[in-house]
Amino acid sequence: MAQRNSWLRGTIIRKSGPSTSTSTRTSTPQVQSTSTTIYGGGVKDPSGRTTEYFSMDDECPVCKSDRYLNPKLRLLVSACYHKMCESCIDRLFTLGPAPCPICGKILRKLAFTPQTFEDLGVEKEVAVRRRIAKEFNKRREDFPDLRSYNDYLEMVEDITFNLINDIDVPETEERIAQYRRENAALIEMNAKREEEYARYLQEQEEMERQERELRAQELRRLEEEERQEREKGKQAIIDKLETSDKDAARLVAKSRLEAQRRASARASSSSGFSNFQTSLLRSRAAQSTVIPDVPHVPLQDNWYTYDDMFKMRSTYHDPVSDAVRRDRDGIMRAGGYLVEQAWERALRFAVAGLEIMPVSENPPPAQEPMAIDNEGPADVTMAVA
Amino acid sequence: MTAPSVQDAQQASSSSSSTPQSLYEGSTQFRHWRFSPEQLAQMRSTLNQGAVSAIRDAFEADSPGSSANVSFLTAEEEHLLVKLYVGKIAQLCGHFRFPEEVEATAVSYMKRFYLKNTVMDWHPKNVMLTALFLATKTTNHPISLESYASQIPRTAPSDVLDLEFLVAQSLGFDFAVWHSHRALWGIWLDVQTLPDISIEELSRAYETALGHVRAARLTDAEFIYTPSQIALACFSLASPTLASAWARAKFPSTPHPPVLDVLEPIKALILRDGSPPNVEAVREVDRRLRLCKNPEKIPGTNAYNKKQQELERKADEKRRRKAEAARIAMEEGDPFGSVLAKKAVAADMDDDDDDD
Repeated sequence: MAQRNSWLRGTIIRKSGPSTSTSTRTSTPQVQSTSTTIYGGGVKDPSGRTTEYFSMDDECPVCKSDRYLNPKLRLLVSACYHKMCESCIDRLFTLGPAPCPICGKILRKLAFTPQTFEDLGVEKEVAVRRRIAKEFNKRREDFPDLRSYNDYLEMVEDITFNLINDIDVPETEERIAQYRRENAALIEMNAKREEEYARYLQEQEEMERQERELRAQELRRLEEEERQEREKGKQAIIDKLETSDKDAARLVAKSRLEAQRRASARASSSSGFSNFQTSLLRSRAAQSTVIPDVPHVPLQDNWYTYDDMFKMRSTYHDPVSDAVRRDRDGIMRAGGYLVEQAWERALRFAVAGLEIMPVSENPPPAQEPMAIDNEGPADVTMAVA
Repeated sequence: MTAPSVQDAQQASSSSSSTPQSLYEGSTQFRHWRFSPEQLAQMRSTLNQGAVSAIRDAFEADSPGSSANVSFLTAEEEHLLVKLYVGKIAQLCGHFRFPEEVEATAVSYMKRFYLKNTVMDWHPKNVMLTALFLATKTTNHPISLESYASQIPRTAPSDVLDLEFLVAQSLGFDFAVWHSHRALWGIWLDVQTLPDISIEELSRAYETALGHVRAARLTDAEFIYTPSQIALACFSLASPTLASAWARAKFPSTPHPPVLDVLEPIKALILRDGSPPNVEAVREVDRRLRLCKNPEKIPGTNAYNKKQQELERKADEKRRRKAEAARIAMEEGDPFGSVLAKKAVAADMDDDDDDD
């Protein structure tokens, strides 16, 4: 009885949960402003995962109205990175360009953007970087060597830094303009390339999604088929048991075998899908410019080269190692010394390189350049290789 | 920049995975210290000529015309001197009761060192002591420097240590050596698997062969042939029938294994060069060496002082430049220096003065 009560209470609590939350939500203004269409920009994320910045403590620095006074308060950011509310913007800039009430820069109504980040410094940096990236879009392939590419990246970073921190702004703008003039064709080409790649990725994603759906469908169908078959099989067994006069156990075994055969056939037909998936992944990997990281192999010798040239015996007549083998207390074998290992090493030495012919005169010398560098004592007289 | 190197690495790794090389072919001994007899002779003569002209210049710079009646050593005479001191290593090892491994390693170091340097720059007596001391360390038979130097007359620890880095550097830091005495031990063990072997005959042959292996250390065999071939040749000198029977057993698929053809020249080489040189002849060479040593290497001479001064000046200049660079960096407020380009130039200059 008590159990049932608690279960009941549980449903009641659950029912009341959402209703309370909706009541709190109504007090916070989630209603989108009517002017979203005007102030597009801001959040540039087509997936919609990033949202406009919003806080309960928002207050317009111009008219000092806050969320308490105006629940629909929405602060927008100007081109000089100052916040003000929509009504102030309407009031100040409807009649055309006007000075910013905070810093005095001439602003236009259309240049206001929604705020994404809490910190306006970050907001500014992101905007500047987005603008710079649009024009300074050269790639590594556009440069003859790594050095010049690095120099270019350094220049871009300089320009970005200047713009973010308002250092030599006119001069920097001049640099950007000059760069744009010089590299107009390349910029456009790279932009197109970028676009193409983005489209390609999107297509791939779309294809993958479709393929996933298709597979899920197929899986459902197969499951359904299997279920039906099982039903049918069961029915058939019952029918056969009813009608035929054969051994019951044998009949059951036979139908089981058939079911198994059908299942394996299904499994082999469904494996085709995964092939498609892997080929897709592989083509994407080929597309990406990431250079594969080849594992470093420190030792490239084959320890087993000479193994077929000798056969270890369990013991040898060997006066050299007699003392070690007779040593009952193992004092001489401390540290894991094994006579067998010493023997094996000696045998390896005995057969290693037996077939290697000495360097003959006709081909060029086989040895590598000497590993001695010219540093260190300068007066070492070295052989001329 | 990374792309080509990565490709190279890929190629290297793929080629190595397709044909992994044997241990011996991967060793530094095979890759760096394997020559033909003609190459050896040519290396020694060019080394000798270069040294003679350098020392002649040093003499002339000191006092013009002084080098006219100096008779410099020839490459053969240098080699003779080295051979004498190679023989001395064996005596020294007997005195210290060092194992054969140490002795053979020191001999290899000594011979390799004089493929890169001339006796007119570095006297073999000192190099021998350093090579032996280095060999005790690399073969895991360490002995303290004090007890080592104290047992050798007229030798201070600094005499041994001063040359140590020079020797190691001339060896290219290739310290691991494949020795033929170990290969001979392997042959001795493996011959026992042949049918109808009398242990007495075998052990007699082994003792004789070991003597030949020791004699082979005085020759250039280790630069030309593999240690197993040398060991087999020594064994063949002691007992030709056993050696050829073993060689045939190792290559059952071929009726006449090619290794048997290599043995004859090794045997001839050991019998020809495997004895210590005539002491009187070497004494004559040593007497002449005292007159034609590189004056830049003898403390107290003008040339030596001049060379030291020059080195001092260069080091001083380098130090000053470094201090200057550091000062500039501090003035600019950035302790790590300023632009990349400037640093690159500084690095270039460093390279330059290291080279000359």
